[in-house]
Amino acid sequence: MKKLLVPILILLLIFTSVSFGKTKLIFTVHWSDYQVEGVKDEKGNLVFKGLKQYVEEYMKTHPDVEIEIRSVAFDELLKKIIIDHTAGLPSDIYVLYSLWGVELVRSGILDEPSADVQNAVRLLFVKPAVEGATIDGKIWGVPIEVDNYALVYNKKLLASAGFKKPPRTWSELVSMAAKLTKRNPDGSVAYYGFAFLAGWDSAVVHPYLALLYSNSGEFLTKDFKECLLDRKEAIEALDAELELFRKGGTDTSASVWNFPAGKVAMMIMAPWYETSLKIGFKDKYAETVGVAPIPYLKKPATCGYTWFIGVDSASKNKKQAWDFIKWMTIQTMPNGATRMGELMAKNIGAIPPRRSDLDKFPDELNDLYTATFVKELIHTIQEPNVAQGQEIKTILMREIVEAWNGRKTAEQALKDAKKKIDEILKENY
Amino acid sequence: MKKSLENRIGAGYSFLAPAIIFYSIFFLFPVIFSLLVSFKKWNMLIPFTKAPFIGWKNFLDLLKDELFLMSLRNTLLYALLTVSITLTISLFYAIMINKAKFSVFWRFIYFAPVVTPQVAIATIWGYLYNPNNGLLNAILRFFGFKGLNWLTDPSTALFSIILTAIWAGIGGSMLIFTASLKNIPQEYYDAAKIDGATGFKEFWYITLPLLKPTLLFLSATGLIGAWQVFDLPYMLGRNAPAKSVMTVSWYTYETAFQYLRMGRASAGAFLLFVVIFVITLIVLWIFRKGGIKGYE
Repeated sequence: MKKLLVPILILLLIFTSVSFGKTKLIFTVHWSDYQVEGVKDEKGNLVFKGLKQYVEEYMKTHPDVEIEIRSVAFDELLKKIIIDHTAGLPSDIYVLYSLWGVELVRSGILDEPSADVQNAVRLLFVKPAVEGATIDGKIWGVPIEVDNYALVYNKKLLASAGFKKPPRTWSELVSMAAKLTKRNPDGSVAYYGFAFLAGWDSAVVHPYLALLYSNSGEFLTKDFKECLLDRKEAIEALDAELELFRKGGTDTSASVWNFPAGKVAMMIMAPWYETSLKIGFKDKYAETVGVAPIPYLKKPATCGYTWFIGVDSASKNKKQAWDFIKWMTIQTMPNGATRMGELMAKNIGAIPPRRSDLDKFPDELNDLYTATFVKELIHTIQEPNVAQGQEIKTILMREIVEAWNGRKTAEQALKDAKKKIDEILKENY
Repeated sequence: MKKSLENRIGAGYSFLAPAIIFYSIFFLFPVIFSLLVSFKKWNMLIPFTKAPFIGWKNFLDLLKDELFLMSLRNTLLYALLTVSITLTISLFYAIMINKAKFSVFWRFIYFAPVVTPQVAIATIWGYLYNPNNGLLNAILRFFGFKGLNWLTDPSTALFSIILTAIWAGIGGSMLIFTASLKNIPQEYYDAAKIDGATGFKEFWYITLPLLKPTLLFLSATGLIGAWQVFDLPYMLGRNAPAKSVMTVSWYTYETAFQYLRMGRASAGAFLLFVVIFVITLIVLWIFRKGGIKGYE
């Protein structure tokens, strides 16, 4: 027994020294199981790689690094980042919605990337994504996902009402939506011509901003000192939305989530909804779903937002964390694509923000759904990275919903929004 | 003698220690901490000690915030209506079930919503309230009425949530009423019958006064719970204009965890505490006026 004890102890010592010698990185994301573990077929064979497979590949080539993936729900991500950081147990790497960036940067939670990373982002990524990762003039992470909005329509419902093409301008949309809304004999709505979604800030604010930009309007001044929602362009844009309600093309009970059930003819949606539509329409997907640029008021425009990946300033392994990020997002594979781009396009169903990735995945990015979103990147204006961005977005959503419900005119709703938003801007700029 | 007494006191405190430590860590400390937070501008991202002290500003900002005032109004309406209607209906059901056959079965049926998670209740009622495919509008239309936008129309949204809360809350109160009714001695009713009392007089002069302690308990706990309500309005009312459905707890949650305004959120929580405290005192005063009669 004593003879065995010595080799066991030596083995234990080697094992622990190897483990302790490794640099451990914690990588927190908000992705679901298949996005982390990979997409598998019925037999359990891997069809599309998930984050885990890329991390394993990295750990094989970098045996001194161990990466643990932690996944939390989207609603919990910001809370987790803040609480972990405050508790002194930060994740080394995390993905971030650009709207949260300002508070994290101002509080010193995000680590500033090196000049080579900042230059690479400026040089290699699409404009809205670069703007998304830029806070107070500096780049604070590498964009991993850029989202914008387009008009998603039900080809069959449009055809059954005699429309061969989707609307090109907003006034066409208003008149088509009214004709596409069908009621049952008891008065209930059988089909909505158009649907918003009242309770979800992005589904209210982003389509409105798209319309505002298409009317040559602006949301905030460049220096974030004033909200510009009381201007003529802004009021006209909301009035254009209200016209949809007045003409009977939609109401506050309509929901974008009813589109996959074939009950909604048109909606404004983001690229990541493709999988839900495929599941909803099954083999009828290709013949039913169509995508077009958002119908405009004066000129084509859409609104966008970005997710970027960054490092916590309290991480003890910042260099290793940035090395991994560079390997995932900036270094390319032999086919010229980045690993993050491949993960986004093939698994997560989002548009990769790196320019060179956009033509590497034609099956995914040039299909009937995503192609329009990719083309619309040139008309995409990034949601502003402003302090208290979430609060400002919610205020605007609530005032727009007040107008939708007929409790305020477009002018009054936007005047009230401006008043509250200006108070927040005054507090922060 | 003195040493023995000291030993006994020491032993007493050592028995109390786990509870005292537990309450100090999980109740007293958070309460004191959040009171301190309510006087600071703190977003959790910087150390608490570096957060600037801003005096009563958080409280004053709250009282100027129309959304907070509307959330107070909504919560008051929610609390008064849910508690009063729930207690009335559950007392009626308890009396009926007390006399009915298969009372265990009926108790089970009415109690089922109490053990159902609020999220499941909200989801199911969300389907019932659906303006186009929901059961409630189908019934209205069957009788020739126009369907309602239950959860999105500002004039009906809060009342729809209150209706769901009443449905979900009846079982719990009813069960307690049933237990209290069983404890009222039958002799009182027998004596009243001899004196010629009718069913209503029995209820008014015997049942109701003897249920006063139960009514006090259910009113006080019901009001405290109703003032803290979060889940049902949050789940069912998200598509309605916020001013028509938002409650104080929802406002506080949003202010703290979405806007990271921990100071203002803590101030809101303290104002809520004061309101609950005052209302509970009023309820106690109303019920104790004239004394609470027991029946043993």
